[in-house]
Amino acid sequence: MRATQKGERVTGDLVQILEGNTFVVSDRRGDIEASSTDPTGLFSFDTRCLSRWVLTVNGQRLTPLSTDDLQYFETRFFLVPGTGTVYVDAKLSVIRERSVGEGFHEELTILNHDDAAIDLDVRIDVGCDFADLFEVKDALAKKGTYETRVEDNQIMLGYRRDTFFRATRITASEPAQVDERGLTFSAKIEPHGRWTTDLDVVVVIAGYNESRDDPTHESDSKKRHPSLAKGLDRWIDHAPQLESTDDALRQTYRRSLVDLAALRFSTRTMPNRYLPAAGLPWFMTIFGRDSIFTSLQALPFMSELAATTLLTLGERQGSRIDDFRDEDPGRILHEMRFGEMTAFEERPHSPYYGCADATPLYVVLLDEYERWTGDHKLVRELEYPARAALNWIDEYANLQGNGYIAYKRRNEETGLENQCWKDSWDSISYRDGTLPGFPRATCELQGYAYDAKVRGARLARTVWHDPEFADKLEKEAADLKRRFNRDYWLPDDEYYAVALDADGRQVDALTSNIGHLLWSGIVDRSKAKSVVRHLMGPRLFSGWGIRTMAEGEGRYNPIGYHVGTVWPFDNSFIAWGLRNYGFKEEAAVVAEGILNAAEFFEGRLPEAFGGYLRSTTKYPVQYPTACSPQAWSTGAPLLLLRTMLGLEPAGENLIIDPSLPASVGRIELLDIPGRWGRVDAFGRGRVDTTKLKSRRR
Amino acid sequence: MPATETAAPAATGAAARFFTELGRSGRLPQLGTVSGTIRFDIVDGSDVERWYVTLAKGDVSVSQNDRESDASARAERALFDGIASGRVNVVAAMLRGLVEVDGDLGLLMVFQKLFPGPPRAGDTER
Repeated sequence: MRATQKGERVTGDLVQILEGNTFVVSDRRGDIEASSTDPTGLFSFDTRCLSRWVLTVNGQRLTPLSTDDLQYFETRFFLVPGTGTVYVDAKLSVIRERSVGEGFHEELTILNHDDAAIDLDVRIDVGCDFADLFEVKDALAKKGTYETRVEDNQIMLGYRRDTFFRATRITASEPAQVDERGLTFSAKIEPHGRWTTDLDVVVVIAGYNESRDDPTHESDSKKRHPSLAKGLDRWIDHAPQLESTDDALRQTYRRSLVDLAALRFSTRTMPNRYLPAAGLPWFMTIFGRDSIFTSLQALPFMSELAATTLLTLGERQGSRIDDFRDEDPGRILHEMRFGEMTAFEERPHSPYYGCADATPLYVVLLDEYERWTGDHKLVRELEYPARAALNWIDEYANLQGNGYIAYKRRNEETGLENQCWKDSWDSISYRDGTLPGFPRATCELQGYAYDAKVRGARLARTVWHDPEFADKLEKEAADLKRRFNRDYWLPDDEYYAVALDADGRQVDALTSNIGHLLWSGIVDRSKAKSVVRHLMGPRLFSGWGIRTMAEGEGRYNPIGYHVGTVWPFDNSFIAWGLRNYGFKEEAAVVAEGILNAAEFFEGRLPEAFGGYLRSTTKYPVQYPTACSPQAWSTGAPLLLLRTMLGLEPAGENLIIDPSLPASVGRIELLDIPGRWGRVDAFGRGRVDTTKLKSRRR
Repeated sequence: MPATETAAPAATGAAARFFTELGRSGRLPQLGTVSGTIRFDIVDGSDVERWYVTLAKGDVSVSQNDRESDASARAERALFDGIASGRVNVVAAMLRGLVEVDGDLGLLMVFQKLFPGPPRAGDTER
């Protein structure tokens, strides 16, 4: 994965466009030739609906001259016949203009530049493996059977397993000879003339639109374009405007807004609503944790993401005990999927609830949303899910019986072992590298629980008019904070244990998790300085940012997923925490490091980069990951802007208290929306970060 | 809004029990954010037992009298009995094509919270 110019959505040499949870990944010619493990194709509802789509003219493949990313949902490929590297027949041009809706639409045009008329055989080869996204990711085999139906100017590719049926219908506007493997057109083109056909690829889902006369009425992506394009413009116009002497920062800001627009997710199960999906291409779905963190990051810029996230997750909140789905009443979901493996319960994502942080974070987001927007109507409407979430913390998450949130999957076959944001198998360890048993109570979960109770109390008092409930929550929060600072604190090392194990013993590795504790406010004032000293010290701070795990720990690996890499999302919340405890200059150092790293990726931060020392590598080494853009990395620069400018709602006012690194120069963030209407924030870089950094070494 | 309307006496079995109980449940705050009517068709050979559930921001009413609907779900009786008793997960069944759905799927996704979870070890079989 690498970043490219002009904001093309490119994975290696692949081009992808998307709308909602439908996306197309092709090569630079516009062709799709997917193998079972290859990530190209047309994907919709977590299923690959087209795995072969190859254009030839007179039996020849084509060569790309250029690929224009017109919008995130639309691409134009300029091609010429022939695959030779030297000679290119310039007498013909081929243009494929493709846009995604529910399926995709392609307008194929051939231009004859010659003085003589020409007869061409134009052929599109088609095929489909109907792979579930889980199968593509994990290279699993299919269990059903395939069928193909050939009609006039139309071919239908289908896949059936018992009652499960998915099909892809391909229709051409020009007369075509159709066989089971594709469509052939005889195109006669006059001198300096052109030939065009429309190709519609429509996804058919059994039990939903299969029996309709004309499922294309929803899939006519061409008709949808004007509104999509306008949507993007409006989206960018409505966000605050950033003026800065720092060109790279402006580029990063704009990139973040455009990518967040692309990551907005909507499906037929929630029409006209957009919430942030987790990442492209594999995570175009509802994720509890990622949607909440991204909504928090984006709140000062576009609060509607938070509103839709709160509504959608609230509506899908757990309501019963279901061990297969790790569901409990009040629990906020982890991930929702619509593919074959979910349908046959080979995966529990219908939806899956195995996530220990999204539930308290739901309450945190609801309160933060109210502080910015003053939208009491929504906060009242969501009183029930918020109370159910608060109830889940004490009623269902107290697995160790000691009053802390802990997790242990009940679905031992396909459930998730680590239900915190560091969800890889080896992320939580003792200093010597051994892994604790389950249930595990990681420290940041207790911070989130504390914050949820404090914020829940505020909402109970000010919006729900239930002072008794507020008192109760405040008492519980104070008690939790007291116990936490006793049970998790490592007095000799002066930081918090990353977790308590099944026996209530401290899991003692030094990790970035302690930074989230600052954000949640559970850290005793007297202990904050020590925590900050560790975060900004050489074992955790790489110069680009704070590592997930400190150098010197048993499992530390600078390119280990959660055991040494630097995550922009993680750092943005730690910077917020540093500000909350008054460490403005340290927050500016973290912000500067991450924003500098963004410049190496044309403003699109990867999910994570290596924990190597900045002075050694000079550039951030990207962690090889399947998704770009990734929602919470996209949101990181937004949250960092907020922390640098010191934006904090206070009643009907917005407090602005800038603390910018000197290297940033001047910043103006104009028209920041909120309950105050719109206000502007100005700041000038005054923090000499080099001094602070050298002091830390 | 009245909490319940009368169900046709002919309807018996798990589906009828489920909808009749639902009509008596009064306010359901967990459905507080949505409004709309869902039509359920329970197919038994050539017979179709039809139920309408109207949600109004947490108020629920159930009826067998014809009315306009915003979403519909259609399933065989044996399957629906499984759903109503928690033995069959309705979302997975929808994805398998066993429950035919139309209209506002968002409404159905919210409604499905009302179906019970699977019976657990120690539970008495319903």
